[in-house]
Parts: sequence; C-alpha cells; structure tokens
Amino acid sequence: MYCNKLPDKPDDRKKIWDKVDNMARANSLWVTAYGTGCGAIELRPLHTSRFDMERFGIAMRPTPRQADVLIISGYLAVKTLKRVIRVYEQIQDPKYILALGSCTINGGMYYDSYNTLNILDRYLPVDVYVNGCMPRPEAIIDGFSLLMSKIKAGKADGWKHYVDNLEYYRENQKKVIHNWDLPDYNW
Amino acid sequence: MMDKNLRRIVTESSFDFETIREDEGYLHVRVPHGNAVEMLLSAKQRFGMETLQLISVVDRIEDGTFQLTWILCDPGGTSIFMISADYPRENCSVPTLGDIWPTAVVFERELHEMYGIDFPGNPRQNEDFLLEDWRELPPMRRDFDTLSYSLRTFGERRKRTHTDPREYIADSVDEWDTPVPMKDEDR
Repeated sequence: MYCNKLPDKPDDRKKIWDKVDNMARANSLWVTAYGTGCGAIELRPLHTSRFDMERFGIAMRPTPRQADVLIISGYLAVKTLKRVIRVYEQIQDPKYILALGSCTINGGMYYDSYNTLNILDRYLPVDVYVNGCMPRPEAIIDGFSLLMSKIKAGKADGWKHYVDNLEYYRENQKKVIHNWDLPDYNW
Repeated sequence: MMDKNLRRIVTESSFDFETIREDEGYLHVRVPHGNAVEMLLSAKQRFGMETLQLISVVDRIEDGTFQLTWILCDPGGTSIFMISADYPRENCSVPTLGDIWPTAVVFERELHEMYGIDFPGNPRQNEDFLLEDWRELPPMRRDFDTLSYSLRTFGERRKRTHTDPREYIADSVDEWDTPVPMKDEDR
C-alpha cells in the first residue's frame, strides 16, 4: 500500500498556530533510531547519563512513523541512500534532517570512493550540518540546539522544500540509484 | 610438527610447485594456474587441510595477472597452507570450488563483483554481493579510477576561493537559510 500523491500542503490559515506548534515540536524531537555510518557510534553516548539527550526532550523512536528527526550519521553509500529515502519519506510532517560528519558535507575521507555520496543536500533536504570526523556528542547536542532554534523561528522547513522540489531531488536520486524499484511516493 | 609433516607430504606428492615462505605451522606455495585446483583438491583429501579460510586476490596489473591465494587450514587450526596461482588478467576465468567447500561460493561472488573474475560453475556468482546494480568496471580493479568516477557521479562541493576569514565568512552560506537546489555548474 503506497500513496499515489504528494502530501497535502500545510494549511496557511493555521499559520498563526505554527508558533505554538513549533514550540512544542522543538522541545520534543524524536529521532528515528537509524544509523547510516560510523557516526552512529557517537549517538550512543548521547543516551548515557553523561550527555543525556533526554533532558532536551530528544528521544529515540523505533520506527520512522513515530519520529520527527532523521540523523544521517556519517558516510552515505548509494545502497543506503535508497533505504534512507524510504525512511525519510515515511516520517510524518514536519520532519527534519540532521547530517553529521564531513562525509555528508563533501565526502570527507571518502571523497574518492566509488560508492559514497559527496554532497548530501543534492539528494535530501538537510536542515543542520554538524561537521567533524566524527563530531563529538557535545557537537551533536550543539547541532540539536541549532535545529531547535531554527524550528522555533519557523525556518526549519526542509520538508516543505523537499515536496516543492521533489522533481529536482528525484532526478538526482535516480542519477545514482540506477535500479529504482521504490514507489513514486513513499508518504 | 604439523608443518614438517605437511611439507613432507607436499614434497612427496608429484606436484610442480615453488615455495614462497615456510615457517612453523605455515606453508605458502605457488603453483602454475593449471594445477591449482588439483592441488587444492588433494590439500583437502590428502593433506588434511579441510577448512577454506579465505580466497584473496592481488591485482598485478604490471604483470597482467591476478594472483589468487587460497588460504586453507586444518581442523585443529594449528597449521595454515596457502596456495597461490597467477591467472591472466584479461577475461580471467577460474574454476569454482563451490562443490569442494561451500564457503567458496560466497568468496567467489565477492571476487566476481569486485574484480570481474569469472567463476564458471558457481551458481550464485551473478547475484549482488555488496553493490547494487553496478554498471561500470569492477571497482577494485586497479584500472578503475575511483576519483574520476566519484567526481563524475557524485560531484564535488564548491571549494572556498579565498583564505581571508572575513571574506570567507561573509561569502559563506547562512546556516539559517532554507536549502536551495543549485545547478551542478554552480557548485
């Protein structure tokens, strides 16, 4: 069972509520428990008492349907990109992407690899990049706090951007994924 | 000792081989590629080397050969027997060992995908191993240029053009901006 159309556009009349909604959204970021690269190692300490991400309302969720944030943690192979697209599109709106590590920014140490993407924002809308190889948990928390302030300011709208520019993203995605056996819309 | 015993048995057999290295519990020989399978068969049946640990390949592009090495060990794990053979690099074809050691099917699938070595008789060699739908030259061959492939396929992020921090910061992307799709030539 797949969708056969894009998700509905957000209702402009509800804009006034967005401030209230965004306040709530920013303070309860639920993250899909999905690690794509070595950066997922640095997410583990965030659960522990030393860094304790739950004090910011950030929690891990087992399925994309219950989550708001997708963390692309490190290098993204073409094979993984296909799964990530599927996971990302299944997350309910509004949804945000936090990209960790230099690999997502410019390929990092895998810039000449035959299967690692060099520029992530060609394929998915990234809201916050956290650089480093790998970023320490403090840097990830800093990335989260930037994401929170962006959400509160109503500027974390990568998900709207993705729907509006789906053709651009699909074109790039299909350029690297030759065997496209995903449905057109995964929402 | 096990290795002396092995050495004696190998020497007494009628095989044509050349010793590369010999140590306690370790014997590495090179055989002409026509004799490799026969040697491997008798290693299992007569020398007691029952386990296939690994099949590895060195791409000797200068000599125009692939050096295949089969690493065998005895059930107790006390001695290692390695057999190398040089196969011509162009249209390299190596008989499968899947019917002698079932593990070989998996190793051979990997070598087929990464080096393009053909293993006639291997029932699963055309299945994807790590890559999905790969259409180029096999990526681990030394004549495959990974850097140019990566730049051609995944692109390269625009690098900074000046080194003065003030100019650079003024020119850099505002982290509060919505991601904007850019054309490839602008990157």
